[in-house]
Amino acid sequence: MSDTPAPKSLRAVGNFIDDRFHLAKTGEKNLRKVFPNHWSFMLGEIALYSFIILLLTGVFLTLWFKPSMTEIVYDGSYERLNGVLMSEAYASTLHITFDVRGGLLMRQIHHWAALIFVASMTIHMLRVFFTGAFRKPREINWTIGAIILLLSFVEGLFGYSLPDDLPSGMGVRILQGVILSIPVIGTYVMMFLFGGEFPGEDIIPRLYMLHILLIPGILLALIVAHFMILWHQKHTQYPGTGRTEKKVVGTPMYPAFAVKAGGFFFFTFAVIVGLSAFVQINPIHLFGPFTPTSITSGLQPDWYMGFMEGALRIFPNWFDFNIAGYAVPVAVLVPGLGSLGLLAVALIAWPWIEQWITRDREHHNVADRPRNAPTRTALGVAASVVYGLLWLAGSNDIISETFSINLYLTTWIFRVGVIVGPVVAFIVTKRICLGLQRRDRETLEHGYESGTIEQLPSGEFIEVHKTSSPETVHVLRSKRPVPRIDVEATDEEGVESPEARSVMGRLRNRLAHWYTKDNISFEGVEPHSGHHLHHGHATAGAEQEPANTH
Amino acid sequence: MKWITARRRHPLAGYVVVILALAFVGVGYAFVAPSADRAQAQTVAADAPDVDLREGRQIFTESCASCHGPQGAGTETGPDLTNVGAASVDFQVSTGRMPSMNPDAQMPRRPTPFTQEEIDNLAAYVATFGEGPAVPTNVPATAPQRSDFESEEEYEAARETYDAAYEEYIAGGDTEAGMKLYLANCAHCHSWSGAGGALTDGRWAPELHEASPRQLYEAMLTGPGAMPLFNDTTLTPDEKQDLIGYVKDLQAEPNAGGVFALDRIGQVAEGFVGWTVGITLIVACAIWITAKQRAHD
Repeated sequence: MSDTPAPKSLRAVGNFIDDRFHLAKTGEKNLRKVFPNHWSFMLGEIALYSFIILLLTGVFLTLWFKPSMTEIVYDGSYERLNGVLMSEAYASTLHITFDVRGGLLMRQIHHWAALIFVASMTIHMLRVFFTGAFRKPREINWTIGAIILLLSFVEGLFGYSLPDDLPSGMGVRILQGVILSIPVIGTYVMMFLFGGEFPGEDIIPRLYMLHILLIPGILLALIVAHFMILWHQKHTQYPGTGRTEKKVVGTPMYPAFAVKAGGFFFFTFAVIVGLSAFVQINPIHLFGPFTPTSITSGLQPDWYMGFMEGALRIFPNWFDFNIAGYAVPVAVLVPGLGSLGLLAVALIAWPWIEQWITRDREHHNVADRPRNAPTRTALGVAASVVYGLLWLAGSNDIISETFSINLYLTTWIFRVGVIVGPVVAFIVTKRICLGLQRRDRETLEHGYESGTIEQLPSGEFIEVHKTSSPETVHVLRSKRPVPRIDVEATDEEGVESPEARSVMGRLRNRLAHWYTKDNISFEGVEPHSGHHLHHGHATAGAEQEPANTH
Repeated sequence: MKWITARRRHPLAGYVVVILALAFVGVGYAFVAPSADRAQAQTVAADAPDVDLREGRQIFTESCASCHGPQGAGTETGPDLTNVGAASVDFQVSTGRMPSMNPDAQMPRRPTPFTQEEIDNLAAYVATFGEGPAVPTNVPATAPQRSDFESEEEYEAARETYDAAYEEYIAGGDTEAGMKLYLANCAHCHSWSGAGGALTDGRWAPELHEASPRQLYEAMLTGPGAMPLFNDTTLTPDEKQDLIGYVKDLQAEPNAGGVFALDRIGQVAEGFVGWTVGITLIVACAIWITAKQRAHD
């Protein structure tokens, strides 16, 4: 940094620390650490900041919350429910809401921060997926991130269940139903978790322990690991001048990035507190306490459980069957556990699946532009479409009522949609990616369209193309040739490799071919070599080339 | 034109076009979409106020008989009214559901074309067809309207009497009993907040916010549409009062959590706001703090 010596007092403190911990060298190195300058690299930070807010507000709430299902008669400052029989958990939540100073605000901050936390992790994950930032060497960190996301769903569900109000009781009831649907062990697991029949006395204290101790502990450990690995491996970066697989370009940690990140924390905090102050969330005092006879329409889980709710709502009951008098409720088992299981396996295994298909064992520190990996991008969009449709299906009654669509019709729209939607999305996305690649090649060869129309002396009209900036040229040229896997490949003796003969080998070759076959080759394309650029300068008649076909 | 030409390749031009197109479609739709007002049923000008039953019969003949038959025995397009009773007529007509503009569809609540006096006459006439529940006159009906009165004083006096009766009726209910009854019997269609909800086969459970206590009572008593019947042996009048008290009390309860209560829709609206407002604002900030000069411009 600057060459002017630090003030004497600071030097003394610095020397004191350095004499004991030898921190100067590592400290300097880490303070100079470079962060790429792109907004999509800040998405993970939103998750970190909202997690910090969750921890702080969560600690505040534990000071008054009583995780007990003991039935008491409410006698507090919320008059509407005075004299009503309810659990201590619900009564203590009312106490936090109406008797603890700032309690309602803290509850709302905690809840909004939870929604933002999972949402920001989701978009962070989408960014990492679509830019290929999960590739070697970052597969482990991707896996950790996926586990953090999945654990957060469960953490959120348990937190939602704690106040023992109407929706939380209904959420626990669905959880119980899904556990019961597991063949053979379902009833035992359910009895073990609930300590008897639903709802019992044990479930709230147990969920409380999981919600405030075990899962946050694991989350915290995983987040720290996620960060340490990130710090060690450094960020990926988008292609650009001076950026290579070995060199990161960006803002140094100190002072510029620290200021940005600090400011960004306060902005995130401000948005969450702003929402909490003005937008009502989860008004448990209006819902009333849960009793096993209570049931209401128009209630959903928090958004991140929406895809499971939707899967439960639209999955048909055609496959339910009985074995020796024991019911196997496929319509609960598959959407309830299958949807989450499929998401978990797909997320965790994806880096290895892609590696296995493409045989790509190289280090990747420069991010892919999504268009340059068309099959991956199309797969990601297709999966997002399935997720999004299931998510929407979770609110089908609200959609039906708001837009006056027949409820049964929405079920069929979503059933057809989750099958047709991803196929259409895959094809369309891939076409768009390839189209963008073609445009990139065109821009690289001919420069960009200036919007200026000129008439040549011959009478021909042309649009003048201008040369792109070196930065643009660099970005466009960053597209690496995709190795096309030749399924019929043989060695020089004309013998196919032994691997290609096995079933897995053939499958792998097929997949590799499918994964890499569609790509626009940039090979041999020289920047600004196309004749568009020459038109304007060429004298009429001198150019005898045929009219351009681009 | 030059102004547009100069700007059509601006980085924001695409967004402007999309916004304009959306606005065009939205505003256009508002003009084209059929509105309930245009299909308003013809109102009946009643001018024989001295005899109740005679006016009732006249209204019936003019507005009801075409579907329900001249003696209320029902036709292909309208059900039999022989034993529906005055309560059913009062509910259906005072909530504006009858006369219906489409006998095949569920009717939404709308302003009634009749005065309360006309409805009373009609109900009394229909009640003569057979046996059926009477109008629960001890339950407060719709609040008096200024337009029904000659002078401000008369209106205010009537309003005061009404408000006192309303308060007394609502306060007479037991919240806990009402809540239990409501959450066990009503909320699975009308939702916890009384905002209504979707039902099977394109029907829906209406929202309860505008319904007067008497209309709620009559709905339970007569089971309109897909709604089950809760007669006075299933739910005693006292229990009905608990229930109505709970609904109206919850509805009047202020939203402690903030000025935007999202219509008490709950988690769907919260998730929507979390994404469209929360995440969008934060990401916009991220874009802002990492922005740099564009290469082309």
